[in-house]
Amino acid sequence: MTAVGSPMSGARAADLLERELPTAVRRRESGFGEVTVWVDRADLVAVCTLLRDHPDAAYTTPVFVTAVDWPDREPAEPRFDVVYMLRSLQYNDVCRLIVQVTEDDPNLPTLEEVFAGMDWHERECFDLLGITFTGHHALQRILLPTDWDGHPLRKDYASFGEPIAFTHNLEWALPAQERPRDMPGGSR
Amino acid sequence: MTALPPIGSPTADLDPLSEQYEAGRQRLGIEPGLDSIDLVEIGDSTMELNMGPMHPSTHGVLRLVLNLDGEVVRECRPDIGYLHTGFEKDFERHTYQQCIPYTDRMDYLSPLFNNLGFSLAVERLLGIEVPLRGQYLRVIMCELCRLASHLLWYGTSALDLGATTAFVYAWRDREKLLDINELVSGVRMHTSFIRVGGLLADVPDPFYEMVGAVIKTFPKLIDEHELLITKNPIWRQRTVGLGTLTPEDAMAYGATGPVLRGSGVPYDLRKAQPYSSYDHFDFDVPIGRTGDVYDRYLVRMQEMRESLKIITQAFENLPDGPVNTTDRRVALPPRNELNTSMESLIHHFKLVTEGMRVPAGQVYQAVESPRGELGFYLVSDGTNRPYRCKVRAPSFSNLSALPHMVRGELIADVVAVIGSIDIVLGDVDR
Repeated sequence: MTAVGSPMSGARAADLLERELPTAVRRRESGFGEVTVWVDRADLVAVCTLLRDHPDAAYTTPVFVTAVDWPDREPAEPRFDVVYMLRSLQYNDVCRLIVQVTEDDPNLPTLEEVFAGMDWHERECFDLLGITFTGHHALQRILLPTDWDGHPLRKDYASFGEPIAFTHNLEWALPAQERPRDMPGGSR
Repeated sequence: MTALPPIGSPTADLDPLSEQYEAGRQRLGIEPGLDSIDLVEIGDSTMELNMGPMHPSTHGVLRLVLNLDGEVVRECRPDIGYLHTGFEKDFERHTYQQCIPYTDRMDYLSPLFNNLGFSLAVERLLGIEVPLRGQYLRVIMCELCRLASHLLWYGTSALDLGATTAFVYAWRDREKLLDINELVSGVRMHTSFIRVGGLLADVPDPFYEMVGAVIKTFPKLIDEHELLITKNPIWRQRTVGLGTLTPEDAMAYGATGPVLRGSGVPYDLRKAQPYSSYDHFDFDVPIGRTGDVYDRYLVRMQEMRESLKIITQAFENLPDGPVNTTDRRVALPPRNELNTSMESLIHHFKLVTEGMRVPAGQVYQAVESPRGELGFYLVSDGTNRPYRCKVRAPSFSNLSALPHMVRGELIADVVAVIGSIDIVLGDVDR
């Protein structure tokens, strides 16, 4: 089994950040042959610009940005892990950065100016997970229709089961104005 | 019956048609000036044109809003999402093995690469290595799939520019490759042939004869395809110098695959970060010089020959042995054990009903699909379903460079540029 990079993918970026921007690295973890670096939201643009421009890194290609929703871990830890992956063609490496944001303020600075290709990926992340990117020139839904409600890849978004109203689940199945006024067994 | 009002200038003294029109009106006794229309001032001379979503040259359902100055494209805004199916959400409520058929349907022209990327990601979390025969068969099937996908691209993008013959020839040859899919899996396109831990099954006997025939006949057939198009003056006039993408731009947009290599960047994941024993085979990575549509065409045609080289080597050195792992976390117990061992029977039952459990963690596994870097970012929480699976689709990033590529080109050339990116909308929208 060959790991994504060799010997440990992302180690180059993590080492560089610890050397050049030690205050930005909050945590560093490795597993399954890959290194992940946790950075603060405030440092994100500086970190990515450094990784792109530093001659020892040259992470010039954006791979994607997405988020992972952990709704149950607030307030101990923020709810969303926003995951950035960047690729260095020159050094044949791919690195992963994670920025944590809370449910109340799921907001990050845009990386559009750093990588032109981040534009669509940020729109997708906003569309499916409701993460907003400050400074993005047109942060609109990209995959779903513009009038869609909610962000489907959040864990609290029910994707299955058509709501069928029974006497025991009217509160869940019907919006408030459509519920019968003398709802039988309403308290169940 | 009244005639329609004239289009354009109400003075209508520009061409003889309007004279005829006026004469006709007089003959019919229609009073002049009644239906003359005033031109509406719109500020500038540009026009918004809606191309697609139901347009044969958008290869699926892609809508482009083009801002035109005459025939020149000033701005292009792609509107995607018409095929969005929510596969990533579906993954989260299916067991790992149940996810495999979903991956088939994302990039429906290269289903085996999707199977492979997902399977490799899960196998890395589990720490499983597939037996060598399984790895070689994966490589053979994937490269056959790359041939089929490139042939389809060749046919349709040539058809977009009016070369009908090429399309028919490409279909003729792709048929032979789909027959092999059908033989090994029973299905021509959505094979689900590559599974976590190995393959659906070992290949049946006719496989050797059919792949042997492909190895023998395809070099000649590719020559035939090249003869039709490569030096064709019409094709060259329509493609050389068009939709140029510099290496820097290609990298900044995250373009991968033939789009990146067409711009002269020699990066191929099969070479750069080999998986599934790609490092056992000797092949070249073709690159372009200028990054125009013609270069991307040449790169793909050459890639078909390189794929044949890989298939030949893997086929000739195909080892014997099992194709599936024997790791009991993934593999079902052998049939004869079920008759004697209660534990095996229970294990079989649990594995079939509940599926495999995958250790908690996160991995990113990328494979080189015919369209570029197809990546699976998989987060597991230790249960039998993926906690989150993000698919990094090559067409998505490649398509995001389209507005940059067509700015300043003619509207008729937009079709050629779309064809050269080789998008699959199932891959873009997922």
